[in-house]
Amino acid sequence: MYKVVFRLFVVLFAFRSWAQSDTTITLQAITGLQFDLARFAVKPNQKVKILFKNEDDMAHNLVITQPDKRLPVVETVIKMGDKAQAVNYVPPMPEVLVASKILVPNTTETITFTAPATEGVYPYVCTYPGHGYVMYGAMYVTTRPLPLLATDPNIPPSRQTLERILSSPHPFPLEYPLLYRTFMPECSPAAIAVALSASHAYCFDAGKCYLRYAWRGGFVDNTDHWKGNGNALGKIQGTIYFKDNVTYPLRVGKADKLPEVDFKGYTLSNRLPTFRYAIDGVEVRETLKALPNDEGVSRTFVFSKPTTQTVYLVTQHTDGITYKSSVGKWQNGTLTLPKGTTKCVVTMQAPPAAQGAHHGH
Amino acid sequence: MNFSKSRVLYKSSLITYFLVQLMISPLFAQRDTITNYYETERIKLPKGLRAETGGMDFMPDGRLVACFHLGEVMTYNPKTKVWKKFAEGLHDPLGVAAISNTEILVMQRPELTRIKDTNNDGVADVYETVTDDFGMSGNYHEFAFGPLKDKDGNYFIALNVASNGAGIRPEIRGTYDSLSREGRMYSCVPYRGWVMKYNVKTQKLEPYASGFRSPNGLGFDAKGRLYVSDNQGDWRGTSPLYHVEKDKFYGHVASLIWKKDFPRVKPLSLPVEKLDSMRTREAIAFPHTEIAHSVTQPLLDNTGGKFGPFMGQLFIGEMDYPRLVRLLMEEVGGQMQGACVAFGDGTGLLKGNNRLVFDKNGDLWVGHNDHGWVGDEGLSRIHWKGKIPLEIMAMNLTKEGFELTFSLPVDAKIATNPSLYKFQRYYYKYHRLYGSPKTDVADVAVKEVTLSPDGKKVSFKLTELKAGYVYDLKMGELKTADGKLLMNRAIYYTLNKLK
Ligand SMILES: [Cu+2]
Repeated sequence: MYKVVFRLFVVLFAFRSWAQSDTTITLQAITGLQFDLARFAVKPNQKVKILFKNEDDMAHNLVITQPDKRLPVVETVIKMGDKAQAVNYVPPMPEVLVASKILVPNTTETITFTAPATEGVYPYVCTYPGHGYVMYGAMYVTTRPLPLLATDPNIPPSRQTLERILSSPHPFPLEYPLLYRTFMPECSPAAIAVALSASHAYCFDAGKCYLRYAWRGGFVDNTDHWKGNGNALGKIQGTIYFKDNVTYPLRVGKADKLPEVDFKGYTLSNRLPTFRYAIDGVEVRETLKALPNDEGVSRTFVFSKPTTQTVYLVTQHTDGITYKSSVGKWQNGTLTLPKGTTKCVVTMQAPPAAQGAHHGH
Repeated sequence: MNFSKSRVLYKSSLITYFLVQLMISPLFAQRDTITNYYETERIKLPKGLRAETGGMDFMPDGRLVACFHLGEVMTYNPKTKVWKKFAEGLHDPLGVAAISNTEILVMQRPELTRIKDTNNDGVADVYETVTDDFGMSGNYHEFAFGPLKDKDGNYFIALNVASNGAGIRPEIRGTYDSLSREGRMYSCVPYRGWVMKYNVKTQKLEPYASGFRSPNGLGFDAKGRLYVSDNQGDWRGTSPLYHVEKDKFYGHVASLIWKKDFPRVKPLSLPVEKLDSMRTREAIAFPHTEIAHSVTQPLLDNTGGKFGPFMGQLFIGEMDYPRLVRLLMEEVGGQMQGACVAFGDGTGLLKGNNRLVFDKNGDLWVGHNDHGWVGDEGLSRIHWKGKIPLEIMAMNLTKEGFELTFSLPVDAKIATNPSLYKFQRYYYKYHRLYGSPKTDVADVAVKEVTLSPDGKKVSFKLTELKAGYVYDLKMGELKTADGKLLMNRAIYYTLNKLK
């Protein structure tokens, strides 16, 4: 009785102090001795459920250790020799926080535990002999943003460019840029999601003919949309850094008149799409590219004929983006392109902030 | 070891078995089965393909082009058995038409798209919107089907209504109208529930015919008549196939609000009798569970006899049973109506027979799908082995009954016995509820059976013949003089008009 009351107290206390909810993380062992997630974050005392899937064609396990104890645990397993197999390559030592069994290919184990109360970086690793030196990642127990991926010392160096590796759901490997027509949040039903790279993407609205938003940290997870009846939206993986809150950004003739739009399709050049559409009959080709270090995107607008009316690009100067243009003049966030313009490159700069501590689960 | 010993024993017993079989076969002939006439082969798929087949066609060079649920368009060379990617990233593509070896048209959720490989590297680089001039509420059930090319180069497509199993999205495409928002299936943006025609001359998408629910199959017959299938549901007592003509209404009421000059009333508020008088009935009703659950694409046998004796007839796919259905239609009183009979049972065909296409050799390719339905995944090819099975070639309405035509002369003694045939009639209700039970079911007595001098035609005089009913005929074991068995002994005639 005493125990129950005490536990209840702890739970209530935890809720009040952190106002937190449980979290579920899907973590996969994938080809190339790695985990699909290079790192993930949970909050102190949070109830964590890890769906650990072995999508590789060899056996792996998942062991979470105390901070800085990855190598001591990995080396203890090697010293155990033949005896290690019987304990799933998990040595009985306090440095091990939680562990799965050895999973053969195409199996899954669910691991449930409460995150440590102490903030810190808790390594996760496959302790199968030989794997632990390269096959690892970092569980951040924190409420704060994570450090920059590119310089994170707690993840394998090969993963400092990519937080999550997606396995291809198609009969061909995933290549970038990558485009999916799918249902996307905050977009018309004719949405196009484009990954410029595995960690930088945007959503183009093929119904309304404009860039809706852009994000970093991953692409889109269509798993739920593709299974079932197709009702589910694609899930954005990562953090949106730009959202167009203007009703429609391009205007012809008058800066305050919304144009008629007509989507005409896209062409691919080395997989990079160029969208074709017309605004009030003016034919536009628009290509989006990543700026160096993914510090935003550049948008190249090409008009099929030199423009015969003034064209405007209306932006919202509170959107956190630094806009620059190769042509025209800016005033109060509106770019004015003079008659006779055939091409204009607009850069939208948004330096990557420290990345958010949570994933789009 | 014991293991190898038992294997030797097993082997020798097998040999004995075959020897015995060989000796007794002249005395007890093998029972005639469909595998004597047709065989089904499963096509090996590329690794990683979720083969929920949405569309299939052949390119002029003989490569199959197929699109799949996860947005891939793949080509398959039947000679080299090599799969290759042609296009990717499409939104639930449910139909493909090959234009050339480097160009295709694909119907995907948001639009009809022309997809081209312009740099001849085998992979498409141009995706042109041919038309997206129809609404989308974002409801998952708004699937889009087609394209079907007519002789003038125009394209027919068909647009599903939405399902009240889910709502609509905050942002939609097209003008919202709430008049048909009620009901099990609804149409709240333009032309949901319509068959549309893309006119190549005007480059406009024209409304063609209304009243559809889930028109997952478009095809022409030998005379160029357009047929569109639909699925059991509200306003669909059982799965139907319609002969579709311009401006007609085919029964599902939600789409009526987009009809020009239709009054501003909720279609659901109109009396059923009124709606019934407005609609054009199905050419064929497929009795639910008797022969089909969910019919798919109709396809004309235009193989010139390479696929057996059924040249000029239509086949249609079926989702829930491992079979296709063969259609025997005729014009009566200016309208198409007719019979359906099973095809392919026992050939090893899978379920989920969603898409059909003939290759140049006359083999029938079947694309399977199980998405959201009972079914299977993958691709199959049905091959005719060259011999004629005993099958029903026609079922024609007469003044007093029906006449069946067989592919081969039947045994006169068996065929003229009236107790071999059991006729029943029933109809399916036209109403707002989902599906309908068989209604007003009654046995119909056979007054007289006669066999034609060539042994190929059996005529029945029935005690009663009524329009608006399905006539369900089940036969006993009918055979030819040399023991060939009738392969499918149940046939269902949709009698809309009397002779
Ligand atoms: Cu491992």
